Amino acid sequence: MPVIEVEKLEKSFRIPHEKRTTLFEALTGVFKPESYEVFHALEDINFDVEEGEFFGIIGENGSGKSTLLKIIAGILYPSAGDVHIRKKVTPFLELGVGFQPDMTAVENIKTYGTIMGMSKHDIKSRTDDILEFAGLEKFRDAKLKNFSSGMQVRLAFSTAIQTDPEILLMDEVLAVGDMDFQQKCLDVLNNYRKEGVTIVFVSHDLGSVRRFCDRTLLLHKGHQVALGETGEVIDKYVYGEQDKNILETIDNASETTPAVQNEDKSAVNNSRWGDQKIEIVNVEFYDKFGNVSNRFNSFDAMTIRIFYHAHEKVLDPIFGIALYSEKGENLYGTNTELRNITIDSIEGKGHIDLKVESISMLTGRFLLTVAIHSRAHNPYDWHDKLYHFDVIQTSRDAGLFDVPCKWII
Amino acid sequence: MLTVLYYVFSHLMKMQIENYQLFLLLGIIIWNFLSRATSIGMNSIVGKASLIKKVYFPRDIFVISSCITALLMSVFESIVFIIYMVYFKVSISMYILEAPIILICLLMLSIGLSLALAALNVLYRDVQFIWAVFLQAGYFATPIMYAVEIFPENLREIVLLNPVARVIVASRQTIIYSAPAQINDLMFMGIASIVFLFIGYIIFNKIEPRFAEEI
Repeated sequence: MPVIEVEKLEKSFRIPHEKRTTLFEALTGVFKPESYEVFHALEDINFDVEEGEFFGIIGENGSGKSTLLKIIAGILYPSAGDVHIRKKVTPFLELGVGFQPDMTAVENIKTYGTIMGMSKHDIKSRTDDILEFAGLEKFRDAKLKNFSSGMQVRLAFSTAIQTDPEILLMDEVLAVGDMDFQQKCLDVLNNYRKEGVTIVFVSHDLGSVRRFCDRTLLLHKGHQVALGETGEVIDKYVYGEQDKNILETIDNASETTPAVQNEDKSAVNNSRWGDQKIEIVNVEFYDKFGNVSNRFNSFDAMTIRIFYHAHEKVLDPIFGIALYSEKGENLYGTNTELRNITIDSIEGKGHIDLKVESISMLTGRFLLTVAIHSRAHNPYDWHDKLYHFDVIQTSRDAGLFDVPCKWII
Repeated sequence: MLTVLYYVFSHLMKMQIENYQLFLLLGIIIWNFLSRATSIGMNSIVGKASLIKKVYFPRDIFVISSCITALLMSVFESIVFIIYMVYFKVSISMYILEAPIILICLLMLSIGLSLALAALNVLYRDVQFIWAVFLQAGYFATPIMYAVEIFPENLREIVLLNPVARVIVASRQTIIYSAPAQINDLMFMGIASIVFLFIGYIIFNKIEPRFAEEI
């Protein structure tokens, strides 16, 4: 029996061109029809959440994630469709709702606990736990206005998780506190999982969605794009919008080509040089499904394809790439010579692939230099940091690069 | 306030009313309650925008709780009234038992008004200013400083269409003058307060789904 059932849900907002907020305006405007635009925040959303399930909702900004969560919480009403909720919902959309800066920590726990639906008795018996969890025992009688923002958020989170929720709706709230505190929160979530609490989780942090959620819903501009097993849905999110990315690559290509033609005349440029005997026509990145993409999950496979056009027969060319971080530090470089590959000769159009088994970068944007040069290091065509791709984090490790390793006790 | 009104009306206007201080004070307390309950209640939704938008619980709680707050404030004012009662050695009778009924009618009336106003105030922010003018006018149109008998018969009917006027008249009868409240006053009050509460709830529930968006 699903605890949350959403059927054919639609939500649209009216965006009036001229908002009438007073009775006077409403009366004077009686004979003038109100003009407005309708914004469809959500269209045709259907999903069920089973009891005890961790359900993720992902999507870009403005895809309707928070609206959906607010509708489940009962704050907004759907324009059409049905939402059935069968358990007590604890919405957790923003931390510290109803916090009063002039009250002490303990008083605020009381207020917030009441708002979140705790009984008086529960609040009393758990106040110490809450303070301990937040690491704020020393400040129990300090006024909230003297707290740092981190302390306030910790206090709010600690209170909220003590409410014994049945269904917990969370909107981007995990990213608070230091590593220690985050770990504590993760422990609490794991406990919830054992206790069979249902959690609906909205986040941009794909790493934590992947780690926690059993199933995930992907929204794109208010439409339900994918629903299913988390890994697949995240793949779809990262790789899914092929059309868009192809457009982007075309854009990139058209941006670079005219620039290149100018450079041909001057022959030397900041980002491109070489005698053009062989020209690099384009560079494309392919994801593990063979689609052109600019975004990759870390640890996934990737193929870099270099399209070239040799205007005359060239003997023994060397293809090379170099990888840079966004700050321009050289992270890695290799070429066919270093890998002991000899290309006898090329002529005309063609391409060469560089296959990456597993992207070992963790997260960030990476710049790529692609070059073709002779064995004597005379560049035919050198594209310096002209290409880039983004890597999306899938693990919780810190830093730029993954180092294969494990702990042994 | 009481002193000024008392002086003006009893000495300058020569009001011939028994226990005029008490008469005046009771009227002021009841009117103050109504105006306070509706003013706080009206702003209870708009003023709590952050709560409305972030968590859900029945929104009428905001309005009802502000009416109860106003009631508590009036209880403190009533203490002054009781001291006056003792000071002027006004005797009380059995009929004072009717006072709680009147009070409940008044409370229902103000909750009904507050619900409607609170909801309308979300849509039209000038409702609060319009209501302030209404309260101002009502203060003089209601028999607070004067007895309803000063009006000629036909005008009196119109004044008594105001349920608050009936509340004030009836509570004076029962509390100060040891007389039973007139049965038609009680009937009118009871029906009016139920109607107000009912209409208030309908308006509130009609607008409630839009609160989070319009606020």
